[in-house]
Amino acid sequence: MGNAGGLFHLCDGVVIAVDSPGSPGVETLLLSSGRISAESWAAALAESVQTRSLQAALVARGNIGAAEARVLAVAALRDAAFAAAVGDVERCVVDEPVDEPLLPVAEGLAVDVVLSETGRRLDAVASLPVSLSPYRDRVVAASGAESADSTSERREIIAHATGRRSARDIAFAVGRGLYPVTVEVARMLGEGLLEIASPAASFSFAHGSLASLHARAEAGSAPAGAEPPG
Amino acid sequence: MLDYDALAVELQKLRENVTGVTDTVIAASDGIPIISDVAKNVDPAHISALAAADLGIARQAAEVIGLGTLSQTVVFGSTGYMAVYAIGRMSLMVALGDKGLNLGRLLHESRPVIERVGSILAP
Repeated sequence: MGNAGGLFHLCDGVVIAVDSPGSPGVETLLLSSGRISAESWAAALAESVQTRSLQAALVARGNIGAAEARVLAVAALRDAAFAAAVGDVERCVVDEPVDEPLLPVAEGLAVDVVLSETGRRLDAVASLPVSLSPYRDRVVAASGAESADSTSERREIIAHATGRRSARDIAFAVGRGLYPVTVEVARMLGEGLLEIASPAASFSFAHGSLASLHARAEAGSAPAGAEPPG
Repeated sequence: MLDYDALAVELQKLRENVTGVTDTVIAASDGIPIISDVAKNVDPAHISALAAADLGIARQAAEVIGLGTLSQTVVFGSTGYMAVYAIGRMSLMVALGDKGLNLGRLLHESRPVIERVGSILAP
């Protein structure tokens, strides 16, 4: 439990899935990247209630191949483990499963494999030339970045770098993994395509000038921002 | 004047502490925005009006059906969420989130925020 935190699904001593608010899950990876349509996803989910396997439903419908489904499940697992580890961990709780993971990895990944891979990714992020917190640092496109010659992935990142979004938010917007997007954003920061957003760009508060809520209610139809009488 | 700085602090902390929250608005229960922190393509007035209507109906439903006190009402979309919380009887708070938002954590983190915002709005 923490920010972002994570839910590790263990079965017979192996990790079969990890979910985290910090990394896009299989639904976002498939939908936000445009790989499959929302309708196809919904239909596969509906079918999987009967068959008890979303993977089987997706493959049977021809949405994705069996090999791709496994690659996706493993990638989502690794990314979510990284997402939980790269944030703040407040405490750990062991509990009985409430929900089955959507796309578990058949036969799972050994715990020590997940740990060592996650450690490797944490080290990689810590030793990037530009230090970047995937959750706290919000990034904005540098002026002229839109017209720079870039790959389509980079152009997508630039388009979503509004100043309000962290690398994690951008990963969700483009439907790619937290780890690869974090590394790419750090590289783009180093190359001057992106900049760390100023607090004014990250948080922009708009408000009127009410004296109080009660006075406004008493004034009846006075619009927000109007000075109260007296 | 309302302590807008204090309200801003609460909204900023919520967005920082709950991964996945993308935009926040505090509004009066008739749908007029009080303070907002939203992306350029989000209209606080529009969101406030929608949230106020949503909350009004949800509260009525909870009362009529006998569900107890309303804690939150949430619109679930395929790419994100809108969660609305009552702040006393006169105001409300909206949190928009992307698909990664953990609604349980949002509800948990919102409770003290709702209390503090309530006292700022009605000292």
